[in-house]
Parts: sequence; structure tokens; C-alpha cells
Amino acid sequence: MKIGGLILVVILGSVLIYGSLEFPPWGDPASPASSHVSPYYIEKSVEDTSVPNLVTAVLADYRGYDTMFETIVIFTAGIACIFLLRIFRKEETETRLYRHIPTGITLRIEKSGKFPEKSAAFERIDSVWVPHDLIVKTTCRLIVPFIQIFALYVIAHGHHSPGGGFQGGVILGAAMILYAVAFNLRSATRRMGERLTVLLCTLGVFIYAGTGVLCMLLGLNYLDYSALAGVLGVDPVTARSHGILIVEIGVGIAVMAVMVTLYYNLASAGKHDEGL
Amino acid sequence: MNIIFTLLLICGLIFFTGGTLGILRFPDFYSRLHPAGKLDTFGLVTTIGTLALYIAFSQGLYLTALKIGLILVFVFITSPTATHAIVDAGVRAGLKPWTKPPAEKGQA
Repeated sequence: MKIGGLILVVILGSVLIYGSLEFPPWGDPASPASSHVSPYYIEKSVEDTSVPNLVTAVLADYRGYDTMFETIVIFTAGIACIFLLRIFRKEETETRLYRHIPTGITLRIEKSGKFPEKSAAFERIDSVWVPHDLIVKTTCRLIVPFIQIFALYVIAHGHHSPGGGFQGGVILGAAMILYAVAFNLRSATRRMGERLTVLLCTLGVFIYAGTGVLCMLLGLNYLDYSALAGVLGVDPVTARSHGILIVEIGVGIAVMAVMVTLYYNLASAGKHDEGL
Repeated sequence: MNIIFTLLLICGLIFFTGGTLGILRFPDFYSRLHPAGKLDTFGLVTTIGTLALYIAFSQGLYLTALKIGLILVFVFITSPTATHAIVDAGVRAGLKPWTKPPAEKGQA
């Protein structure tokens, strides 16, 4: 069995290498990719879309479909993670630790005991890992707003400088994950619950696809943002730039929500209860 | 002016070298984090700060200098915190600090 697999891999690999010999040389100006579409993008993207960043113009405007399905792939990954890992059944066999806040005493309550769930004097703490670290928490509280501002900057400047929805969304998600790591999973889910994350990742895809449908309803092709000129009150070329921004915001929201969902499910093994 | 900047940059590189040497030469986890946390942070502060000063005074790009300064501030806050968190994790996981082993008989 192993020998057969090895032979198959070797055959497939040599076929791939043989196929790659036929590729045009690296940076060949006469290759099909750089002789048909690339010159058009390089020459016309600014006058078509008024977007200085060529890469963003290609990604979100000329190849809008492609990026939309990339967003859907990320969305699917988040949903699949929930389906695979999430445990909705409440397990009875567990011991919980509570800290009595005024005195700092830690209580260990066995499975048949009464949990002080609603009391304000008690704070639930993790049973394996008890992060009560003032320095890390304070630094996190100090840094998170700046990370979020930077993420919004990256999303909003996607069509002027390197960046865009995917990168900015990841930074936004990282800010939330940093909060969850520095405090604990329960305080993170109190800030941004599971319901909200799923809603946001659906909303992100909805903004992207909805922009496309709106363009279609206004009489042009799917994802042809120049149709939005009347709605936004600008000329069609600027409308394409604004359309890219709207779509990037959708991508950012979806990516952020999926990052947070993945972290919640992986860190707590699907229980959303205790975790890093 | 350029001479001062070059001297400051060399200074930062010396800090980096010391940090790297410390990471390579020190015997255990905690003592290795000491150069990694202190010297790398200070080397970064020196080099990046010098770059910010250079770009502000020689090139006149004050906004870029401000951005570099922001990077400096954030690194100065986060890098020691990261070192602290790593040491904390080591203590919680039960790693004992290195002590000098007692000299064996026969070897002086």
C-alpha cells in the first residue's frame, strides 16, 4: 500500500515537473499572461476605476467574482468549523472554579454542587489555566484600540496603498483574539458572542453579494460598480472606486468574524466554556 | 549630523549583537529571555529611533518620522510584556530555573 502510494506520488510529481517545463520563462514579456490582459490593466485601471492601487483594482473590480468566491470560501471554512467542533450538549460531569472577588478566595465546586452563576461577588475562572495577570491585561487594554484603528485604516486604504479587506479583517480578528488570550474566553464571548460572529460573517458575504445584486437591479452587470453612480451621487468612475471600498468592508467583516469563530471553537474544543 | 546617526546605529547594532550572543550562550530558558527581552528592545529603540531622527532631520519627512515613532512606542510597550508573559508561562508550566551544578569530584 505504502509502495503503491509512493509510486503514484513519484509518477504524478514527474508529470507535474514535465508539464512545468512548457511554461513561459520567468518574466517573459511575450507570454500570454503579460501580452493580453496585463497591459490593459496597467494602462487603463486608473482611468477606468480611479484606484491608484492596481492590485486592488484587479482583485475587487475586474476580478470581482473571484474575490467574492474567496470570501465565500472563508465563510464556508468558518461554518464548517462550527459544524465540526461545536458541542451544544451541556455536559454534567465537570468541576468549576470560582473566585470570590472581595476576598480573593478560590472555590472549587464539584459537579453536584450549586454554581453561583448569577452572583456579582463571584467570578468564574478556568480550571486548568488561571491567568490573573495585571501586566498582560493592562497592555492588552492599551493596545487593542490601536490595533483596531490600524485594521480600519488597512481596510479603508485598500485602494490607495497595500492592504484591503482580507488583511484588515485579519488584524481586526487578531485584536479580538488578543483580548480573549489576555483575559479569558468567557469575557471575550460576553463582548462578542457566537450569535454575533455568525451574523457578522454572513453579513460580510451579504454585503459583497448584495452590492453585486444592487448593480444588477440598477441595470448593469453583476458587480459592475459604475451602476452605483446614481445611488452614491458621483460619476461612474468614482463610483467604481467607492464600490471597491464597500466590497472591501464586507470582506473585512466576514474575515474578522470567521477568525474569531475559528479561535473560539479551537481554543475551547467546541464548548465555548473554558479555553485559553 | 550623519556621523552622529551612524554612531547611534552602530550602538543599536552592538545591543543586538549582545542580545543574540546572550540567547546563544546563556544556559537556560529564563536567562535567555533576559537578553532577548532587554537588549533586543533597546537595540530596536536605538536603531528605529535613529531612523526616525534621520528621516525627520535629513529628509524632512516629518509624518513618516511620526509613524516610525509610533512603531517605537508600541514595540516599547509590547515587547517587555511578551517577555513577561513567556516567563510567566514557563513558571506556571513548572520549569525550574537553572542553578550551577555542584562540582564533581576529581574535576576541579
